[in-house]
Amino acid sequence: MIELILFYAFAGVTIFAAMLMVLSRNIFHSALFLALALLGVAALFAMMGSFFIAGIQVLLYIGAVVVLTIFVINLTKQVIGQDVSQVNELVLPAIITSLLSACLIILAVLKTDWGTRIAQSVAQSELTDNTAIIGRQLLTNFVIPFEIVSVLLLAALIGAIAIVSRDKEADK
Amino acid sequence: MITLSHYIILGAVLFAIGIFGVITRRNAIGILMSLELIFNAVNINMVAFSRFLTPEGAYGELFTIFIITVAAAESVLGLAIILAIYRKRQVLNADEMNLMKW
Repeated sequence: MIELILFYAFAGVTIFAAMLMVLSRNIFHSALFLALALLGVAALFAMMGSFFIAGIQVLLYIGAVVVLTIFVINLTKQVIGQDVSQVNELVLPAIITSLLSACLIILAVLKTDWGTRIAQSVAQSELTDNTAIIGRQLLTNFVIPFEIVSVLLLAALIGAIAIVSRDKEADK
Repeated sequence: MITLSHYIILGAVLFAIGIFGVITRRNAIGILMSLELIFNAVNINMVAFSRFLTPEGAYGELFTIFIITVAAAESVLGLAIILAIYRKRQVLNADEMNLMKW
């Protein structure tokens, strides 16, 4: 019972923050609401027993991505007047698209017969920490994707520096 | 009792909100932030499927780790491009970035 209350609380916070993030007129406020929504998702990961993913979510998303976004917002703030409309003329098509896609997924989920397999596996694995399994998999079965992703991160780092650094000739 | 459907429906709602944000935001930074919301909806689905269907291998969690890493790289590059465009042309709205539009 308490699990259900916690789930609805965290889900409510997440969806509320996401709505405010999308609708807020001030881009700085919407970055802060994004942080709140990501925190709610991290709490849901912890509720599912994936404590490692919850930690990564807090460290990488809230600690790195949101902070970086706020830096860029502050570096470009002059042109964002707070009274300028933040939405374009596509509001109605956007509402239709998002409602239709949500309805499609929800209908598909409700119509699927998940069978008995779920109940069994949940009973076995309820709130067991699987960090050890993740670590073992990363260094055995998934070692090649792991290495490739590290190269990708290096490439992104160099690319970001190359894009943002001012070219010398333009400064002269 | 929380079932798999709860998590998938939550993921669907978050995904829809993210789609709405991506389509309607004029500010390019806002579009990137809505993209992060969509990534999170996918991550919720991944972890939920992994916990409820294959808890012994944690495959969904592994893919979530890779998604988070790639999303971080994507957001770094996207913000760098936005900053470079802002420096050159002083625009931040996606509908005003029309230099390559013929």
